[in-house]
Amino acid sequence: MVSLALTLALAAAVLVSLVCGTAKISFMDVLKVFSDESQVKEATRLIILRIRLPRIFLAGLAGFTLSLGGLVFQGLLRNPLADPFVLGVSSGAAFGAVVGIILGFSFGLGVPVFAFLGAVITIYLVFVISGRGMGVESSTAILAGVIVNAFFTAVIMFFIATSSEDRLHSMLFWLYGDLSQSRISYSVIIAPVAVAGFFLLYSFSRHLNLLAAGEESALHLGVDVQSARVVCFLVVSLMVGLAVSFTGLIGFVGLIVPHLARMIFGSDNRLLMPVSALGGALFLIAADTAARTVMSPSELPVGVITAFLGAPFFIYLLKARGSRWARR
Amino acid sequence: MNRCVCTLMAVLLILIYGLVGPREAMAETFVDAVGRHVRINGPPKRIVSLAPSVTEILYYLGLGDRIVGVTMFSDFPRDALAKPRVGSYAHLNVERILELEPDLAVGTKDGNEPNAVALLEQAGLPVYIVNPRHVEDVADTLFSVARLCRVEEKGKRLAESLTSRIKAVKEAVKNLPKPSVFIQINIKPIISVSRHTIHNDVIRLAGGRNVMEDASVTYPTVSVEELLARKPEVIIISSMERGGRFEKAKREWMIWKSIPAVRNNRVYLVNSDILDRPSPRIIDGLETVARLLHPEIGRNQRTE
Repeated sequence: MVSLALTLALAAAVLVSLVCGTAKISFMDVLKVFSDESQVKEATRLIILRIRLPRIFLAGLAGFTLSLGGLVFQGLLRNPLADPFVLGVSSGAAFGAVVGIILGFSFGLGVPVFAFLGAVITIYLVFVISGRGMGVESSTAILAGVIVNAFFTAVIMFFIATSSEDRLHSMLFWLYGDLSQSRISYSVIIAPVAVAGFFLLYSFSRHLNLLAAGEESALHLGVDVQSARVVCFLVVSLMVGLAVSFTGLIGFVGLIVPHLARMIFGSDNRLLMPVSALGGALFLIAADTAARTVMSPSELPVGVITAFLGAPFFIYLLKARGSRWARR
Repeated sequence: MNRCVCTLMAVLLILIYGLVGPREAMAETFVDAVGRHVRINGPPKRIVSLAPSVTEILYYLGLGDRIVGVTMFSDFPRDALAKPRVGSYAHLNVERILELEPDLAVGTKDGNEPNAVALLEQAGLPVYIVNPRHVEDVADTLFSVARLCRVEEKGKRLAESLTSRIKAVKEAVKNLPKPSVFIQINIKPIISVSRHTIHNDVIRLAGGRNVMEDASVTYPTVSVEELLARKPEVIIISSMERGGRFEKAKREWMIWKSIPAVRNNRVYLVNSDILDRPSPRIIDGLETVARLLHPEIGRNQRTE
């Protein structure tokens, strides 16, 4: 039921987002693009189909994976702070991207490949560093993530400060999330991975529920904690690494959406997973719509919007409703 | 083996067809500064400029009324301020550009993101890329844009006049000593330029020597200590605004009397717009800097 409502809300958001933008295009014209092409101007058709639609798809998919990733990491590590970014995906991807740029690859496909490798390798690194501790104390993983983040951030700043590569300046947008040059091919690459990842993770939702009650009891109830961890960790890393490599670093989605979902719908992961994933898509599409309209014709990086809207809203919720993590 | 031959034949056939085959009446293909083939139907009438320097070039050629969109910071000539904005050069608003229904976009190699350019081209908009890296390239760039917009005659005349002005400066400083110059493009931190910049080119052509030319970074951050060691004879502060912060920066240099430029009161402010944009105004910058480095040529002859 809830998922259905969210799907409808998502469809509505896509429509609204298609209508909003720098170029003034009416709702009727948007509908005509899909029904009767001959009645709209060529420019309108291009803007809707080549610019806005790919961008909305990419925003939705990125929100979907980031939010789902956050939910699963929080459940796995039983730590409210866990999110793909805290655990090193962001800095790893950024590091990979910088290396790609310096080696002279293009933003089209070369840089994303490097970003993806960077993300996955880094999170693997975090996993190995904290490997021994993770069984007992999940904060080791968070700490390892924070430290790896700090190290790579320093390396990136070093490159930006010393490199003569002019293209590194466009990195700055990428570091705060940039969806402005989305192509439909990006979504075609991400979508199957995101969907497959979702169902794979969903099959572990009961494990996550049991894990929430504590590791000991999960073990007693027959959950193979370690292998569940490894599989989930790997799936999320691949998914998020892939999404981030195309969108740049969009923070906050993996924190705010799962927590919001928990506050409203409780702690059953079987419900939380679809709700978080769809909610994340909805949130990021809305945020990106704001990013490209509020300062038009210039654009803001979408990460600025997610943090700017997300942080105060999140604080309000914490104050007003109290977090379930705190209550437990 | 066989397949190789087939492919070769196919390529040859296509080439021959390209040479002798039918052509569209008005379509013409231009090769831009990065070697891309840009196909344009008829003289462009709705042009979007993707960089401030390109905007200046288009206006210089008298094509102002054909411009339908410019990037942020396109502030020269003043008329450009009234044109619709299409985002900043580093971050183009592709949607806005397409909405303006242009028939040509002119961008720069280093300024614009290749991805944005690719998106525009996918949408069927020809994008011509220019890449003026040196002062002397500006005339060529001007001429290539003129050809593209079918104002070849005028472009040729203007390009020749720019070239002859550069020549005049070179001639004037030819036998003069070359003072060492420090050029400051940012105040805090102090940032200068290495040899891979157009600023360096201006200093060189104006008969000076950039003290930071050997820096390993394109835009090196420099400490005062370094400057005390390098002892420039002239300091040029490239400023966006007159007075204010930059006057203050100048005063701050004045306490370092061991720097020859300070001792001899040769710390100057120059409008950065005529020093860092590869547009026709860079020749104004060149003449200005030449007069600052060699006051004697100003007395004997006007370079303009």
